[in-house]
This record gives sequence, C-alpha cells and structure tokens, in this order.
Amino acid sequence: MNELLQRKPSLRAWLLLAPSFLWLLVFFIIPLGIIVVYSFLERDLYGGVVWRWTLENYRRVLDPLYFKTFLYSLWIAFLTSFFSLLFGYPLAYYIATRPEKTRNALVLALMIPFWTNFLVRTYAWLTLLRTNTGLINVWLQAWGLIDEPLPLFGNTFAITLGLVYGWMPDMILPIYAALEQLDRSLLEAAEDLYASGWQVFRRVIWPLSLPGVVAGTMLVFIPSLGAFVTPAILGGGKRLMIGNVITNQFLGAHDWPFGSALSVLMMAVMLLATLIYFRTSGEEARRGGLG
Amino acid sequence: MPEATTPAVELRDVVKRFGDVVAVDHVSLRIAPGEFFALLGPSGSGKTTTLRMIGGFELPTEGEVLIEGEPQGYKPPYQRPVNTVFQNYALFPHMTVAQNIAFGLEMRGVPKEEIRRRVGEMLELVRLSGYERRRPHQLSGGEQQRVALARALINKPKVLLLDEPLGALDLKLRKAMQLELKAIQEQVGITFIYVTHDQEEAITMANRIAVMNRGRVLQVGTPQEVYEQPQTFFVADFIGDTNFVPVQIMQVGAQVEVATAAGTRLTAAWAEPSLRAGAKGVMAVRPERMHLYRPGHGPEGAEWNQVEGIVRQVIYKGLDIRYEVVLAGEYSLQVRMPVGRAEETFQRGEHVVVAWPRAAARVFRSES
Repeated sequence: MNELLQRKPSLRAWLLLAPSFLWLLVFFIIPLGIIVVYSFLERDLYGGVVWRWTLENYRRVLDPLYFKTFLYSLWIAFLTSFFSLLFGYPLAYYIATRPEKTRNALVLALMIPFWTNFLVRTYAWLTLLRTNTGLINVWLQAWGLIDEPLPLFGNTFAITLGLVYGWMPDMILPIYAALEQLDRSLLEAAEDLYASGWQVFRRVIWPLSLPGVVAGTMLVFIPSLGAFVTPAILGGGKRLMIGNVITNQFLGAHDWPFGSALSVLMMAVMLLATLIYFRTSGEEARRGGLG
Repeated sequence: MPEATTPAVELRDVVKRFGDVVAVDHVSLRIAPGEFFALLGPSGSGKTTTLRMIGGFELPTEGEVLIEGEPQGYKPPYQRPVNTVFQNYALFPHMTVAQNIAFGLEMRGVPKEEIRRRVGEMLELVRLSGYERRRPHQLSGGEQQRVALARALINKPKVLLLDEPLGALDLKLRKAMQLELKAIQEQVGITFIYVTHDQEEAITMANRIAVMNRGRVLQVGTPQEVYEQPQTFFVADFIGDTNFVPVQIMQVGAQVEVATAAGTRLTAAWAEPSLRAGAKGVMAVRPERMHLYRPGHGPEGAEWNQVEGIVRQVIYKGLDIRYEVVLAGEYSLQVRMPVGRAEETFQRGEHVVVAWPRAAARVFRSES
C-alpha cells in the first residue's frame, strides 16, 4: 500500500482530498441538486412535492410582489457593503499601520463580538432602537432633545445598521490583510515623487488594497443579500427581505418548490453579481496607475 | 572642495535621536555640486538616517540641513529639490515601467506630451527602451534598479539620494551596475549621495567618501586618502585588508618609534595625535605594502622595518600570491606579493624576512 502511494502521487492527492470532496458532495452538491429539481415541481397541500414538471414557480418569482422584495434585498445588500467599506476601510488602515503587538490586539478585539451569538447581538440592537421603548429614543426624549421618537426601527435604516454591524469585520479583515503587506517604502517613494496625501492614497494605497476590498465586499454582499435574521428582528415585520420570504415558504407556507425557485434565483443573482464584480474590479486593478 | 561655490548639500552639526538612541551624532558635511559622494559605514552607523534627513523622511533633532545653501527646516520630501532611489527600489507594482517613471512628472501636472517625450529619453538613458509596458515583477533585479533610477532622475533633482541601491544584486551584476551608475552620474552631472556598507563599492564609484561609525563621521576624503591615510583604527580596519601589530609607543614626533611585545623596534610615518610615549597602540600596514625576502637578503636602509618569521600558508590568487607569515610574537602577518620570478616565490615552512617601508606604517589607538 505504502509503495503504491509512493509510486502514484496523484492517488495520494486524491486520498487526501476525498474527505472534503465527500463532504461537499453529500452536504452541498446533492442538496443543491434537490433544490434545483424541486424548483421545477408542483407542491402538494401537506408540505411535500408532486412529481409533475412545471415552470409555474419561476413565473411566480417574477410577480411584482416578490420581484420588489428581490430588488429591495439587492438595495439593502448594496447599502450594507457600501457602509461597511466606508467605515471599515479607515479602521483596517488604522490597524494595519499600528506596531505589531497593538495590531494583533486590535484584530482580536475585532473578533471578540463573534463569541456572542448573532441572534443575541441582534436582539441587543432591538432594545436600543425600538420606537417607543428603545433606549436611544427614551434617553433622547428624557433629555428633551427630541419630542417625537425618531424612526430608528422597522425600516431600511435599522436593517442596514444591523447588517453593517454584523458583517463589517468580514470587510475589515481582508482589507487589513492587504494593507498590512503594503510596503511602507512605496508610500515614501510616492511622497518623494510629489504626490499629495490624497494622491498617495488614490494612486498607491487604494489600488494595492483592491484585492482586499473585492474580497471584503463579496464577503459582506452575499450574506447580506440572503439575510433573514436581521430583517426579521430589526425590520419589525414591516420590511421583508428575500431571505424572509424563502424562510417563510419552507417553514410557514409549506411551499418547498416555490421556496426552491426563489433560492435558485437568488443564487443565480449572486453568481452573476460576483462574476461582474470580479471582472470589473480586476480591470480597475490592472489599470491602477492610469489617471 | 572649492570653498567659493555653494555646496549642493550641507549638514551643520546634525543630530538625530530616536528616544534614547543617538542615530546621528553631530555630523557636519559639505558636498559639492556634481560630486559622487558616498556615505560608508556598517549597519547601524547612521548613514541611512543621515540620507533620510537630507531627503526629508526624517527631521534632525538638532542642527540644520541645507540644500544649495537653503535651510530645509521642516520641509517634507516633495518640497525638496532631491529625489531618492530606495533600497528595495520601491517600484509601484501595479504600474508599468512607463507609468512608474512618469509618476513624478504626472504629480506635478506636466503636460502629457512632454511626459511621454521625457519618459522616452529616460528609458534610453538607462537602456530600457522597449520596456515601457512591462511590470516591475517581470524585470530582473538590475532592470528594476535602472527603472528606479530613471523614475528619480526624470524629475531633474539637484541631488539624487541612493540608499544601498545595489544591495540586492548579485556580485557580477553589482560590479557592472557600479560602472553604469558612475557613467550615468557623469552624463547627467547631478550630485549623487550614495549610502553603502560596501567599502569596495564606495572606493570604485565615489569622488569622496565619508566613513561613518556609531553615528559619527570619522573621516572624509577621496578614496585614495581614506585607503592610504586612515585617521582612526576603525577606518583602517573597515576599508581594505590591514595587518594590525600590537605595539608599545616608544617615541612620537617627526618620527614614530614603537616596540612589539617581542621587543622588535619598528618605525612608522604617522601616529594618532592623542598617542604619547609609553601608551599601547597598534601598527597598521596594508598586505600589499609588505615584501618577503630570504634571510640575509632584506633591504638596506633605516626607512625599512624588518621582522623574521616562517611561512605558514601560501595562496595563489592569479594576480598575486598571499602569504601568511607567523612571527615570533605569536601573531601572524598577511603579505600580498605580485606573481613574479621563481626566486621571489616562497614555500610553506620557509624562514623569511618580512619588510615594509616606514611610510606604509601608521599607528593607532587600539579600539576599545
């Protein structure tokens, strides 16, 4: 056996890969196949499927009611990515430029919130944001700064805030990783060659951190698009995202075929968005230096 | 250096401290326009910090940096008429060769047509025409080096600062680039200030050398001066190969007389001024200034020092032969003789006389 492995390195590689390959097959590829197949079947009344092929589920997806929810989810995912980048980039830059010890401590601090359950953290926001009993509105009113409660809850603001809070570390870490590798002498060289602070950023730091920005944006955009816990809690039941609709089809309406069709469509959109994004940002990185 | 002209760069009593560490300790220098000036020293000698203070990347704790007679004060790098070639080149990896070279002009808003023309000229100067669209990672070390040079020179700085620019290259390429850099410097006529820890490199390229150690400038002079007339033990030791013989000073003055531990009397042309009779010191002699003779055939005359010894090692090096000769006093001397006739060649184990002229010997305080 040993000898056989020595002679056939490709066999050895396959043996090493086999566990993860099997895992993916059983828990990812086969379920994905089931979802795709289900999306073309009819529902029965008790939460099962009837083996009759149909395109009805996909026709329903394009119904304005669901399609609007879809667009709204894309908008939320865009807002979440945008604000995570806006607030995350400076923080990543700050961490990356600290001395090594401080750097590691700050990265650790960034990850500490993950030790608490996401659901608990989202409920914590609920106690802060709720319209009449939320702490922020209660305090602001108590101090006489506002008369009417601010609309902090059950809207786009609340959902985006919750998602930015939840996913920003996923934006910061890849950007931090890219910036940390940035050679400081490149910044000195740019400064030596008459670049202003803004030009140093625009022409050297930003293009060289772009791989991190691309990775971070994808890591935030995709889970935000499919989010269902945050909108369920902070949306106050008033604003739904596509994730809530899908959850509802599987758990509430017992319409698995339609839920599957929505899932397939969402995955298709994510795939498309990813491809377009990588294509364009790759070009930006290549052009980089051109002003 | 003519005093009448304004120095390209002048340092007046410059000190740089990082916390408790004194990186540069009261350094004063005057560098003439068009000079190829080397800052030479081991790592930690303060040479790079000195260069960075001229470039504006560090500010002096005390003292003043002047460029063309103008005090630089707190000016940032981009307001100084100098450009830098960085140790690891610091080429922008996401830009092409042409974009890298054009960067400085672009930042200053030079018209596109002029940029294109001057980039072309620069590429020609550093012999990289046709490389415009390549990326730094597609270039060899020597090519990257030349791009870094072009990127700095295109801005027509008054002074070019080079921080160990050849440090990353292999020996053969380094030798070739030394000559090329010197040729380019002569062609463009810009003052070069060149930091290196390689004494051979400094001697090959520079018009003048400042030898630095522990933040201080120990000696400034032409390559010949620092090689032939070192003023301190450190300079004699750091530059070239030197024999050091521990001695006791017998007499100083016009003629320096010393004695070895074995009691042999020797004479030297020069002794460090602080040395007094009775003090301990070292005599320094370059291996190529020593000659071997068969016993009884040594040179005549009072200007010759002579000691007897036994050849322990003979190494043929092509251009010359290197001998190691063991003396009675338990120390040995390295002697370098040109490859010559058979009767001037010696074998291992042979008894010989080692002789060197008084003029070749200098006496220093031994480094504490």
